[in-house]
Amino acid sequence: MSKLVLVTVTHAFDGRTVLRDVSLVTQPGEMVALVGPSGSGKSTLAAIAAGILRPQSGRVMRLYQRHGMVFQQSRLLPWETARGNIAFPLLMDGMNKAEATARAEEAALAVALLPSDLDKMPDQLSGGMQARVAIARALAVKPDFLIFDEPFAALDPALRRRMQDLVIDLSARYGFGGLFITHDLSEAARVADRIAVLDRKGDGIIGALTPEGTPGARREADIFAFVQREMTGNPLLADLVNVDERALDYDCACDTLGPRRCC
Amino acid sequence: MRAGLKALGARADRLRVPPEELVETGLVLLGRWLWRVGPGIIGVALFLGLWQLGNRAYGSFILPSPLETGRAILGVLSSPEGWGLIAGTVARVGLALGFAALIGVGLGLASGYARLLRGILAPVSTILLGMPATAWVILTMIWFGPSHASIVFTIAMVTTPLLYIGTVDAVLTRDRRLEDMAAAFGAGPWRRFSNVALRQILATLAPVTGITLALGFKVAIMAELVANVAGLGGALATARAHMDIDRGLAYVAMTVAALLSVEYGLIRPFQRRVGQWKRGGLI
Repeated sequence: MSKLVLVTVTHAFDGRTVLRDVSLVTQPGEMVALVGPSGSGKSTLAAIAAGILRPQSGRVMRLYQRHGMVFQQSRLLPWETARGNIAFPLLMDGMNKAEATARAEEAALAVALLPSDLDKMPDQLSGGMQARVAIARALAVKPDFLIFDEPFAALDPALRRRMQDLVIDLSARYGFGGLFITHDLSEAARVADRIAVLDRKGDGIIGALTPEGTPGARREADIFAFVQREMTGNPLLADLVNVDERALDYDCACDTLGPRRCC
Repeated sequence: MRAGLKALGARADRLRVPPEELVETGLVLLGRWLWRVGPGIIGVALFLGLWQLGNRAYGSFILPSPLETGRAILGVLSSPEGWGLIAGTVARVGLALGFAALIGVGLGLASGYARLLRGILAPVSTILLGMPATAWVILTMIWFGPSHASIVFTIAMVTTPLLYIGTVDAVLTRDRRLEDMAAAFGAGPWRRFSNVALRQILATLAPVTGITLALGFKVAIMAELVANVAGLGGALATARAHMDIDRGLAYVAMTVAALLSVEYGLIRPFQRRVGQWKRGGLI
């Protein structure tokens, strides 16, 4: 059983509440996309789910053996080669270097990285290749649950689709479930079994959408039609469509990557 | 062992050049080497040329020629006392920088992570950084008398705030997102510090170590000269008293040589080891 259960999770930064009573249950092997406008607390929730942040109140039950995480902008160690980056979490686990390297190469193969890519430093890799390395790093720990925090937001649309296909393929091949944070409904509709919608002020999950079929089996035309239909007619997504950056206060609009990590 | 030999063999294979390309490759390597060291050689030649011109203009009593200075250096180095002077100065600088690193880097790391301590130490470090080195020389001579301790203390007091501020800055400017990444993969606080944070802190601190070393040597010579106790600075004071300009310049050149030896023997390799990735190169 590999599932994640969040029960009435509340979190605040400097006294400002960013998540209030958020509850979410993912089923074994289910990929749940979490969508919400900027500042709704999606990344904070991902950080809580991954154990980076401890929630102020509420419970996080990780009913799985091991999770991996893929971050926005990859977060590769700039002093390590691609191989070293993939092996990094294994070395953190105390695995010996030879075994970690072998496992890293196996994970690299799964995401179609070439052996020649593995000796390159992160700044010698394109954005797409960096994303592949980040996915391989997450796969290297043999996770049964994966957390994606807007992993492809910085990529161009074509590359983003290739990466989404890779996630769909890997998820089907290895059978892991996961939480996929995104603000792009099309992306959510492509990769996820279910789409949870977070309130624009983090006041819980306000609803869920379930596109027909399973990820990988959906046709592009169906995904397009689903997105058009939901964006125009579903009140759950009103804030996703009509987000006004001026309405966000400064704290809320801050960079999720900054030291305050408030969003 | 076998894996190591295999890797070595693979590396040798990559380096192997067909005979017909050997001359061409050799010329290319020579050209690259000249391009790398050539400007430095031109710079040194220009400096020596200007020095020689100065000697021509003012005479050997005011400014001995490079050759005369070279002879004086050989004279000093031919005696065990000469080597003792260098060893004494280098040892005092090493000891003082060891203390400075222990206190400055230690407190800097603690302050980087503890806002309260940072707030308390901020004015202290600013005051200490603003204190002229000569003021420390005078104070320590009053406190300890003209002794080795006064010299070591002076160097340590001048360099500690520099290392402290450099370390605090390095801690604060590290990329914390990488530590979050490590946390997401289950790394505890110590692993995050030792494997992720420390790597970045050392890379930021590396240039500061070079500056600190140079400052340490300058302050050491000044303190030794004023205290007139020992070392190259003490010998420089004696040369000044005897108006022995050849020896004076020889001691200056030996100080610079000692500084460069430590810089290129220890500091540069350290900087390369910990900071190469910041310049986009393989380690």
